Amino acid sequence: MDVSRRNFLVGSGAISLPLLVAGCGFAPQQSPPANVGTKTLMFTTWGTDSELAGFARAIAAFEDMNAGAKIELNSVPFGQMFTNVDAQLQAGNPPDIFRVPYYAFGSYAGREQLLNLSPYLESGFSDRFTDAAWAAVQSDEAPYGVPHHTDTSAILFNKAALDSAGITSVPTTLDDAWSWEELTQVAATLRAAQPADSYPMAYNWQGNGVTRWLSLLFQADGRFLNENLKDPAIESNAGAAALEFSSSFFRNNFVPPNNNVKSATFASDTWYSQTSAMVWSGAFAIPDATNTLDFEWGATFAPRNERGGGDFGGNALVATAETAHPELAAAFLAFVTDDTQMRDFCQTASLLPTRKDLRESGITFDVRPELAPIFLGQASTVRAEDSSQVASPNMSKIITVLQDNLESAFAGSIATAETLTSIADGIAQATSSAE
Amino acid sequence: MISGTRGDNAVPRVVIAPPPSSARAQRRGSEKLREGLAGWLFLVPNIVLLGLFVFVPIVWAVVISFQETNGFGVGEFVGMANYERLVSDPLFWRSAANTLLFTLIVTPLSMGMGLGAAVLLNSVLPARGLFRSILILPMAISGVATALIGVLVFNENNGILGNVLRFVGLPDVNWQSGGFAAFASIVLVTLWWRVGFNMLIYLAGLQAIGPELYEAAELDGAGAWARFRNVTVPLLGPSSFFLLILNVIFSFQVFDIVFVMTGGGPQNATSVLVTYAYDTGFVTRDQGYAAAIGVVLLLVTFVFTVVRWRTSRGRDLVE
Repeated sequence: MDVSRRNFLVGSGAISLPLLVAGCGFAPQQSPPANVGTKTLMFTTWGTDSELAGFARAIAAFEDMNAGAKIELNSVPFGQMFTNVDAQLQAGNPPDIFRVPYYAFGSYAGREQLLNLSPYLESGFSDRFTDAAWAAVQSDEAPYGVPHHTDTSAILFNKAALDSAGITSVPTTLDDAWSWEELTQVAATLRAAQPADSYPMAYNWQGNGVTRWLSLLFQADGRFLNENLKDPAIESNAGAAALEFSSSFFRNNFVPPNNNVKSATFASDTWYSQTSAMVWSGAFAIPDATNTLDFEWGATFAPRNERGGGDFGGNALVATAETAHPELAAAFLAFVTDDTQMRDFCQTASLLPTRKDLRESGITFDVRPELAPIFLGQASTVRAEDSSQVASPNMSKIITVLQDNLESAFAGSIATAETLTSIADGIAQATSSAE
Repeated sequence: MISGTRGDNAVPRVVIAPPPSSARAQRRGSEKLREGLAGWLFLVPNIVLLGLFVFVPIVWAVVISFQETNGFGVGEFVGMANYERLVSDPLFWRSAANTLLFTLIVTPLSMGMGLGAAVLLNSVLPARGLFRSILILPMAISGVATALIGVLVFNENNGILGNVLRFVGLPDVNWQSGGFAAFASIVLVTLWWRVGFNMLIYLAGLQAIGPELYEAAELDGAGAWARFRNVTVPLLGPSSFFLLILNVIFSFQVFDIVFVMTGGGPQNATSVLVTYAYDTGFVTRDQGYAAAIGVVLLLVTFVFTVVRWRTSRGRDLVE
């Protein structure tokens, strides 16, 4: 058969167009044929290798216990996770289940994108969780997700750097945690002992981690939202104390100038490169730090002021409102928060449980198990009234308000009182805008 | 059509009979149709892709810009409210000014440096193939990867450039915490990324200029500078026009390098329109307002292109 150049080009075009379009993500992905009676749920998440392995084990166990149930794990990079999920929600083909940080949970729950789990959860289900964890997945007094795990920031330190400044011991119990004044003294000692291009510490408030600044606010016994979770409450003595304390890190050269909240250099990188002696960090960093660092390091508690406090980090698992199998989705969410599954996930991924019983009995990290009590102790300082504020449906806007204002305050451009007023105005605007 | 007939004389006559005019027209018509069809077949993939990924989103963005929407469900029509808000939004004007400044700095510099490199590498230079490859290499790297290299170079604590400056005894530069220095770092990385492309286009333009023109100019007594100014530059008019439009559009759309290197900071010193639109649309989920920023960007770029198109005398020059 003769094939002319024109026929060849036309044929090639016809063949390549569908491939091209599919490559752009336009064509739907082909699902494997499902058996008759099989109910399939799509579960979209990001995760480290150990987190994804933990999810895979939980899925296998759930499928074994529920004949006809199939969970497809769709792993995506964190950077694309929420633009993808948002686009899928807008297009009407969202995953059945997805993973979401607590600070982003309210954006979905408050806009009717998530499944209200109340009808599907057994009575007393909430009793398994700590009050702070359960409060973080509430919207309009109903649960729209399950608190899968949490994390909070403690302080990691470079032992040699502290030793060289004559700091040979750090707090080993929560009650002995440094006060703000003691931390300032430690930082000043390090500052005096170190060369100018090394710093006592680095704070992990970059990007959406700006919510970790709230640890200081909670330690001062302050709030950023009132009890009604709408009106700003940051213009207070506690707010002023937290802002003054954190701004002093920059004024006193306790942190590098590029440790500001919008910096492209993360605090962990500053510490890894030994530019800082200490770093605020969640437990999730332990496996990577263990594998990467060639210096001796340890962990101690975050400081306390009026009380101990910490950010309620970590992630919830949620089902979408339009899922075709709400019962199955709710059953899976309940399953992954049972004691066996949560213990397995948290121990292997170095994360903290949200269950009361596991908090009380404790867990042991697979990597650096001796550090688990530090982070569990720190997590115990998080109160329900702290975590419920972060679940605000307007948190994404509040995060931007915090970023803009804290950045200016830390750079010394705006005074404390002016910054607090500006944050309060921004929060009021964010919470009053149409949902 | 050829036909032979025998008449009274024995000499055969050859008559070339013209084809019936209707058949000829029919054949010409069908050829035209086939050609037209082939043309459309070649165009269809482009039209479909452009329509789907460019024109439909543009129209959609314009529609969304008249709405207040958080991205979920149906937005609420608010008329010109988003555009009115732009007028009184200081961060929008700051981002617009930064974008304009970035364009005004990067466009002439990348074109000038590209032209200089092209002239140099068009001459008899040892290992010019190697130098050309080195300059073009950044084009093969994605914007995000380029920006990540930029972060390594300009890291204020232990970046490569800081170490070099310290080694030669120069003072530290606050590349990440100082507004001016951060802006400069964005410009430098963009130039590193873009000069190779400008050089490539100019090099192609230079190689199309016949050597006899230079010989004639030399015979007329033109020196090297006069030859460059009066022969090279005018004859590179189409290349310059193409690069000017492209550089301005690229500069107005700068995103990845700023997003990765500075995130628009410190204190919005490097915030540009696209990073502001992204933050507004995907971080604070104010998608109607973000779409309005995008539409303004589109209009500015469009107006510039039209004005430049109408005022350019060199755009259609071909040798």
